[in-house]
Amino acid sequence: MDSIPSDAARDGSICDEAIVLSVTCALAKDALSYFQSGKFHECIDILIQLNHKKRNDPKVLHNMAIAEYFKNACSNSKKLLEDLNTVKKQSEELAKEPLEAVNPASNVSVSKDLFDSTVTTLNIAVTWFHLHQYAKCLSILDPLFLNIEPLDETIALQICFLMLDSALACHDAVKFLEVFGHLDKSFGVGFGTHEEIGSTMQLSSNQVSKTSSLLSSSAASDALKSDLAAAESGLCEEGLEYDNVLAEIEAEKRMKPVGHIPANNLLKTIGERSILTVDVKLELQLYKVRFLLLTRNVKLAKREVKHAMNIAQKRDSSMALLLKSQLEYAHGNHRKAIKLLLVSGIQKELRTSGIFNNNLGCIYYQLGKYQAASVLFSNALRNCSSLRKDNPVKLFSLSQDKSLLITYNCGVLYLACGKPLLAAQCFQKASLVFCRQPLLWLRIAECCILALQKGLLEGGNTSSDRSEIRVHVIGKGKWRQLMMEENGFVELGGSAQWPKLSLPLARVCLSNSMYLLNVSLMNDSKSDLESPLSVMINDTKEASWSDHGDANTNSELKEAKGGMNQDIIQNSLSAYKDIRRRENHLLKQALLANMAYVELELENPIKALSAANSLLQLPDSSKIYVFLGHIYAAEALCLLNRPGEAGAHLSAYLLGQEDFKLPFAQEDFDPWRMNMSSDCEETSDCSTGNARDSLKPEEARGALFANLAALFATQGHYDQAKPFIQHALTVLPNNVQATITAVYIDLMVGRSQDAVARLKQCTRVSFVPGRLEVRAS
Amino acid sequence: MFNSMCHSLGLIEFGGFGSMLQDLMLLRSTDRIIAFAIMYQCYPSQKPSVNPFVSDMMNAACNEQVEKHERAFILHLLQWNSYNKSKEILKLSAVDYIKSFDPSTHDFPELGELQREYGDKAGSGPSSHIAADYAVKKLLHDPDVPRGCDPNSPEFDVQPGGNPKIGCGDRDEAVTGILGSLTTGGLAPRWIRPCPPRYPVHQSELLWIDPDNKHELIWDDKMCADTSRGATVRDLLVKGLKVTLSPSEQEDITTALANDAKLVYHCGITPRKLPQLVEHNPQIAVEILTKLINSPEIVDYFTALVSMDMSLHSMEVVNRLTTAVELPKEFIRMYITNCISSCENAKQDKYMQNRLVRLVCVFLQSLIRNNIIDVKDLFIEVQAFCIDFSRIREAAGLFRLLKTLE
Repeated sequence: MDSIPSDAARDGSICDEAIVLSVTCALAKDALSYFQSGKFHECIDILIQLNHKKRNDPKVLHNMAIAEYFKNACSNSKKLLEDLNTVKKQSEELAKEPLEAVNPASNVSVSKDLFDSTVTTLNIAVTWFHLHQYAKCLSILDPLFLNIEPLDETIALQICFLMLDSALACHDAVKFLEVFGHLDKSFGVGFGTHEEIGSTMQLSSNQVSKTSSLLSSSAASDALKSDLAAAESGLCEEGLEYDNVLAEIEAEKRMKPVGHIPANNLLKTIGERSILTVDVKLELQLYKVRFLLLTRNVKLAKREVKHAMNIAQKRDSSMALLLKSQLEYAHGNHRKAIKLLLVSGIQKELRTSGIFNNNLGCIYYQLGKYQAASVLFSNALRNCSSLRKDNPVKLFSLSQDKSLLITYNCGVLYLACGKPLLAAQCFQKASLVFCRQPLLWLRIAECCILALQKGLLEGGNTSSDRSEIRVHVIGKGKWRQLMMEENGFVELGGSAQWPKLSLPLARVCLSNSMYLLNVSLMNDSKSDLESPLSVMINDTKEASWSDHGDANTNSELKEAKGGMNQDIIQNSLSAYKDIRRRENHLLKQALLANMAYVELELENPIKALSAANSLLQLPDSSKIYVFLGHIYAAEALCLLNRPGEAGAHLSAYLLGQEDFKLPFAQEDFDPWRMNMSSDCEETSDCSTGNARDSLKPEEARGALFANLAALFATQGHYDQAKPFIQHALTVLPNNVQATITAVYIDLMVGRSQDAVARLKQCTRVSFVPGRLEVRAS
Repeated sequence: MFNSMCHSLGLIEFGGFGSMLQDLMLLRSTDRIIAFAIMYQCYPSQKPSVNPFVSDMMNAACNEQVEKHERAFILHLLQWNSYNKSKEILKLSAVDYIKSFDPSTHDFPELGELQREYGDKAGSGPSSHIAADYAVKKLLHDPDVPRGCDPNSPEFDVQPGGNPKIGCGDRDEAVTGILGSLTTGGLAPRWIRPCPPRYPVHQSELLWIDPDNKHELIWDDKMCADTSRGATVRDLLVKGLKVTLSPSEQEDITTALANDAKLVYHCGITPRKLPQLVEHNPQIAVEILTKLINSPEIVDYFTALVSMDMSLHSMEVVNRLTTAVELPKEFIRMYITNCISSCENAKQDKYMQNRLVRLVCVFLQSLIRNNIIDVKDLFIEVQAFCIDFSRIREAAGLFRLLKTLE
């Protein structure tokens, strides 16, 4: 405290004070210039001197922590966080003291700036952001945002942008709008600043023709032309296309950079106000598009991205083009998305080439071209790791390290390709970022189940790989015997390394996922009650009214043309909330169905029954999950020796005495369809992704037949069981379980000839010679 | 003899063992007797009903096709009808037992009787669900072997040294083969358990990446910086809480505030200090409040303004604020109510009261003329006020203004 200048001034000797001040001031400047030129050793030396002169000045300690972090090549984020938190605590304690002073008048001129911890807090949040802890970052910035008015504009902007990026990463549309509304008020691009939009609307027709001519490549450069050609031809043939794209990218790299630097460097130019506002305007417009993309308001996003292109035309349009590409991707126009992605030019920069590859990979995944997608994703990962090796390390290059996100994409891809072990590894890595997301845990559980089906689980041969029937032919001649073995023997892959996937793991993952889902549902309902948004929107509404006063009638007209008023935003948000609610509902059904399945596999019918019952109690469930709920409940009840109730579940689908209706239709398999806009240009692409994993309605019907037959058979009603199993085998001629049930019934009624004949007919039965050699005893 | 067999068969899993015994054709009679002995010896000290093989044994004992000596052997093991010779019998070899067997000394009970005695366990093993209870044995005769073929006839036995004939086979080979392939459990009806479909991948689940802004760690450039930012203003304002500032001093403050938009937040005027500033320097107070209008704390400043004592200066401040910024309606209303009640409370000093009333009337007229307030909101309150103080000229004037608006 003694060494703080303003206090010292009070003690007298103003002359000394001034000298000290000028010395420290000069040192501070030196430290800053060393810092800016990346000479962190020298910088720290000076900071140590400063610390001697001004013992425990939190700001010196703060800058020391930052410089140390950079000196160590940004390697020790944990220490940085600890240091920054210590500094923050310290300055908060110091800030309390003057307030506690009894006589307010004497302290009036002590500036609180000295102990202001805003910068420290911001840096803590930045660090968490780079560690991908977006929710934490938001919660740290929240208090700053609540009191943002007094802050310097530069810092305030940094806080707001960081919050916007974090909110986007968390899919938190409400928080996003809160922050965006503030920026909108302060910098006035806004949802619906009328005159701006009016004027740009006139421009835009002009501009649109320009871009479209760019796309049709008539006026474009040669490089662009070949890009497009590659993209175009690529869509015809996967392998070829992919090579073309790669070749193009390589060619681009060899060319000198064209000078596309993605926007986002505005904070450096912040000195001049005019540039600042213009760039912020572009930036806000881009954020607006990202919000609309987040809330899946494709139509509006299309309009706003045009507006962004207009603002960006004089500077850098790569970000706008990238968003446009994302928009087309969201819309299902994959060709267009590829073109725009190439035009955006982000592949030319080392910093963003990983992003390019990832996004292209997403598109190819949606096209069902998994091979190409997997190459692209692994390229993206390679780009990221080469970025990490960059020297000198810059912090932003860490945040540009999107490898964990790309790894998640890889997981989704591997799962779709039927490679559960690889997929699980990816998901487990990505869990660093996504561990709070219920979907991640469901995906890991799905990996376990897929591994189970493929017989890749440890001890899979004993649990229940039921894909094949084996009949051991034992003995020779008159002693020849047949031994039926329903549990196929699983050939274990050559590797001695066992995957860690297991059914108990699936069980844990599913309950994690359910827990997280319930938490997020609870939070949602809470935020609905509070609804800070409506207040905020009313505020801005009033403000814009008072600004524009009597020009109202005029502006309304323009608004209808090109603007975006609060109602639209509100609608967009509530539509998004609806979508999320629907998705969460579907997720819940999926979780319960998987739980019931896993519990049955783990031979725990009580838990399976309770999961299936909860599934059946959900309102408005998908027909598929209702069917699964019934069938799992029936099996669990049968295992619990309650055949009557089991029968009730199955006979829900009974049509007449001996027939079953289809429990669901193929259309029920497209739960995402409803989110797709109807004017999707390439509708054929939309469904490709889902087709492979579906359960066919006809198969479901067959399962009903077979299971009712099995139920009758266990009760000893073989005559009743017979027609049902016959039906089941007509629907599912090679089904292992149905065949076994049929064989069982044959044997029980004493027709072993029929049983063997049946076994011989079924293509999934293999007759294997006895395994033991005769030993002389 | 039994002990040596025990050893060689000791590894056999029990469930399959039972099912093999049911097959009459497979094992020789002596082998079967040995097998039953093993079953018994596994649980020698317990009651027969505890033995998990008891149902197999009962079934064999009541099976008419089984040789009588075998059935009697089992009955001995089960200690049926107080047969107690099991210990002696077990000392014999199987061949000797069969030789010494005398069928006339035995009678054979019905299955029902045995079940009543030893319990009615339909199945065996730890399995709890009914599917397992209804399991059927997994072993079948190859139906290609002609039905009438008697495997015990030596016709198709493998002759040592001889060429194998078609259809010849070796009993021991079959038995060991079966034992090698046996597993627990029988064949039960199987349920089709459809796997839940994979949760659909929405295109938003795949992560499309946009480059972020560069969120760099920032250097705190306020370190050791000149803390005199706004120091002069702060000092002037401290002075301004006590005395009216000179025009040039006021000018200094206004310019400093205009140059640095955020300075107002650091100038040291808190809501608590506002009333003092209003009393001595109303113009500066207006300046500061106008700049604080976006601050989250502005409500506190307004509250301070409403609750301070009524004065010419506070009214001046409010009046000027109404023209400069948009004030919350509740605030203005509260302020007017406060004005009116101050007038009513100042009864002791008639002179002061008159002065206050005239001020309030002028203030209200100005608000009404500038369309700052909607008279309808406050009509009754203001009218009553005018009537109360109708002796004062300005009140009468305000009353007339109200009437014209009516």
